[in-house]
Amino acid sequence: MNKEEIFKMIVQHTCEVIPELEDHTFKSGDQLKELGANSVDRAEIISLAMESLSLQIPMVEVFGAKNLDELATLLYENQ
Amino acid sequence: MNWQPCCMKTNSATDTVISGVGVITATGQGKTAVMNAWLEGRHAFDVMKRPGRQQGTSFLGAEIGDITYPEHFSKKMLRTASFTGSVALVTLEEAWNEARLSEVAPHRIGLVVGGSNTQQRELMQTCDAYRGREAFLRPVYGFTFMDTDVCGLCTETFGIRGMSYTVGGASASGQVAILQAIQAVQSGQVDVCIAMGALMDLSYWELQGFRSLGAMGSTSYASDPGGACRPFDQQSDGFIFGECCGAVVIERAETAAARNIKPYAVLSGWAIAMDGNRNPNASCEGECTVIRNALEKAGITSEEIDYVNPHGSGSPTGDATELKALQDCGLSHAYINATKSVTGHGLTAAGAVEVIATLLQMKSGILHPTRNLTDPVVPAMNWVKQTPVHHQIMHALNLSFGFGGINTAICLRRY
Repeated sequence: MNKEEIFKMIVQHTCEVIPELEDHTFKSGDQLKELGANSVDRAEIISLAMESLSLQIPMVEVFGAKNLDELATLLYENQ
Repeated sequence: MNWQPCCMKTNSATDTVISGVGVITATGQGKTAVMNAWLEGRHAFDVMKRPGRQQGTSFLGAEIGDITYPEHFSKKMLRTASFTGSVALVTLEEAWNEARLSEVAPHRIGLVVGGSNTQQRELMQTCDAYRGREAFLRPVYGFTFMDTDVCGLCTETFGIRGMSYTVGGASASGQVAILQAIQAVQSGQVDVCIAMGALMDLSYWELQGFRSLGAMGSTSYASDPGGACRPFDQQSDGFIFGECCGAVVIERAETAAARNIKPYAVLSGWAIAMDGNRNPNASCEGECTVIRNALEKAGITSEEIDYVNPHGSGSPTGDATELKALQDCGLSHAYINATKSVTGHGLTAAGAVEVIATLLQMKSGILHPTRNLTDPVVPAMNWVKQTPVHHQIMHALNLSFGFGGINTAICLRRY
């Protein structure tokens, strides 16, 4: 996946975990926490994203991302 | 004019009462739908279709259909709720609204969930889905695999701030939860305590275990699923599973009165006793013990019991043992039917659902029929067979028995 596809995939999983966001217009600077994702939700979204990429790296390596764009970048660089 | 039969005890402000109920079975969601099915003897037995229920098998049972969720339930929470948890939420919603618990201080409300190992089917499905790719196991599994997730789901959704925990009592779990909730109210730990019999979500593993054990009905009725569940009938050869969940709201009469709630009934007596027998076989001695202890606590004689809602699972030896216990305790005169004949055996839920069956029959003045009871193993009982019976219940006795020698009994008095 390219970075744009990864971003869309993260958005898809975010809506899956938090269905209340289905009408939200996602931006690259969006932060999961500000979108209402608690720590379990964030772990769930990241886990789903890693599964979509068949990416088996320690989850802690992508915990540093400050927003969706940075998360997409980290996942892109680790795939 | 207030009139009560001479044998009726006077209601007291400190009576422990049931002020609200919620129920769901395979024949409907909510007390009206469920009670209509009970009175009509309408069933939903078939070869089970829920994913994870069969493995080259054709196990019979009754499965819940589409569930209607209230708008205020969090979609995010429902996504990760187990089937057991989702059913618990809608069941509690009904009981909560009927007892108007939003008018009670949250820290004075408790919840006891009856049942252990209630989410087996989905745990097995998760194991199957992630075997060999364990690194991708959903983080929420780390806490949702525990039965106490039902406590978490319910207390967050309804804002309960008193105590909440699960109690296990095998097929007596629902009644064990009620007994625990009574203690929580009578001790003053909380003012109101909800007791729930949680849905036990069986996978084909547990079903096969019950089949191997000889506890669950065999393949005799494979071509006639509606005929398979037949408690107390000569042709029964074991229980038939039925998905269900029940919740009752327990409090003192005075706190219910403060909210203008008329209780369903008074919890007049109750008892629990073990057989000291780890195995699944029933004990007449243990069953007689809880019946007599519950009657003593209620301050009534066996003659005053006019309706018995038995355990009546459909186990040939279990049914025969229970009928002997009822005869030995002088209860052959009381009307008796078998709720499991319509609903199936809800296992952890059964005790609570059958107390609700008693309450709804008490309220309606009609006793529901017993499906498939054509040739009772003991004819000399006051059976409600295929036709409903009009009867005003004054004193009822509910029984639940669980594997491992667990016996419970509850007496209910018309309010």
